[in-house]
Amino acid sequence: MAEKDTGHMSSSIIRIEDVTKVFHSRKGNVEAVRGFSLDVHKGEVVTLVGSSGCGKTTILNMVAGFIRPTSGTVFLEDSPINKIEPRCGMIFQSYALFPWLTVKENVEFGPRINGIPGIKRNDEAGRYIDMVGLEGFEDSYPGELSGGMRQRVALCRALANEPDILLCDEPFAALDAMTRQVMQQELLQIVGRSGQTVLFITHSIDEALVLSDRVVVMSARPGQVKDKFKIDLPHPRKVDIQLTDDFLALKRNIWDLVEEEVRASMKI
Amino acid sequence: MEEKEFSLWHYIVLGSAGLLSFLALWEIVVGVGLVDPYFLPPPSIIAKRALQMTAGEDAVLPHDIRVSATRVLTGFMLSALVGVPFGVVMGMSPTVRSLLNPIISIIRPLPALSWIPLSMLWLGIDEQQKYAIVFMGCFASILVYTMDATMRVDPILRRAAMNLGASNVQVMRHVILPGALPDILSGLKVVLAIAWTCVISAEMVGANSGLGFRIWTAKEWSDTGQVLVGMISISVTVLILDILFRGIERLLLPWQRKIPGT
Repeated sequence: MAEKDTGHMSSSIIRIEDVTKVFHSRKGNVEAVRGFSLDVHKGEVVTLVGSSGCGKTTILNMVAGFIRPTSGTVFLEDSPINKIEPRCGMIFQSYALFPWLTVKENVEFGPRINGIPGIKRNDEAGRYIDMVGLEGFEDSYPGELSGGMRQRVALCRALANEPDILLCDEPFAALDAMTRQVMQQELLQIVGRSGQTVLFITHSIDEALVLSDRVVVMSARPGQVKDKFKIDLPHPRKVDIQLTDDFLALKRNIWDLVEEEVRASMKI
Repeated sequence: MEEKEFSLWHYIVLGSAGLLSFLALWEIVVGVGLVDPYFLPPPSIIAKRALQMTAGEDAVLPHDIRVSATRVLTGFMLSALVGVPFGVVMGMSPTVRSLLNPIISIIRPLPALSWIPLSMLWLGIDEQQKYAIVFMGCFASILVYTMDATMRVDPILRRAAMNLGASNVQVMRHVILPGALPDILSGLKVVLAIAWTCVISAEMVGANSGLGFRIWTAKEWSDTGQVLVGMISISVTVLILDILFRGIERLLLPWQRKIPGT
């Protein structure tokens, strides 16, 4: 199987340039991210790995436009992001589904807001719902679904809005280990088929390695780039790739780096 | 499923048994002369009196119930029509909230009864005065319930909607309002009971009709039977309105009905 060209030649969709974020509070200032730079290219899956509190969610929130950098700039195709940016679709760890809308209405939310006509958005929503195997649950409410099903709906909702990049904020962290692997597999299939660009954050090295073309290891707070790895594991991947020697070697490398940072963060 | 039917059946049987024993005890206590029927007529006399008031020549009860209920619902709707939109805006905008909060804090603790003198001077004792009393008694509470409900909507839902391209107005229409609706409705349910207190008080002080007026007049004639019929009518009407309100709630909030086995 030929190695998939991840498009390093093409221009970047997201360019994070020397970004620093300081949070101010009554207790004092906290520097969450310091001098962080990263390019995400079209069609690439990039994962930020780091221990809790290392600022990875802060970076994702700046890319989504939920918060502004204290200094530095995040660019979306050469224009700076300075408001909430719908082209950067977000998947939240807590799903953030609208509980009063059915599965289908949740998926149609973005297209409806953006004035896509009813028939077209109906077809689109149906297509995404079928894609993640939720057919038959179109008229269920989120409260009636399991965690894994809810996160599938959230994935559909983000994809139906056709974002340039999908931002994933530890989307599978709240799921049990089995469901988590199934969801990783499904995300891999969807991304492989559509060429969707993804910026993913997780504290699971296994998850990062299974999903990514590149892994960025972050330092303890303030978050900086500790190291970057190109993951040359073959595509299409299955979760059983975790048993191969290449995978385990990479995992050991990354774990050594992460362990250092975890220990560093515990000393603070 | 079987367990549910059984518990409902249980509930009805035990409930009626409790109520019937209470009525029987009351009848006996008065019947053997422990309590003077002049002060507390037995259920049998009250039932007879209720029948006279509904079907006899002076069948005033249906009219009184209709009049009081109309006053309650009109005043209540008016205050909801003003209180809910103001509450939503106050919940969403810290500026408006800081601006209006002091005024609301002054109005809210005033009992509806304290508005009776002013309202009578301004409006006399006709219908508008009754609506005004209910309005003053309800609107500040509705506003505060709505404001709290609005502020309790999970901020991440706001973020999610804006991430999907929603404008501020769309967030209000598609996220804040439906998200706050359950709490707004339970607030309205509490305030509906307050509206009844307002109307009954207003009718006792100055009115020519309505359940409050009927109870007060009966007291002048020492007609304890009629007083009790009036009081029971209030209970039954409030109960019926509450059941109707619950129906509306179920209709508006289909997503809160838990469907087992999915």
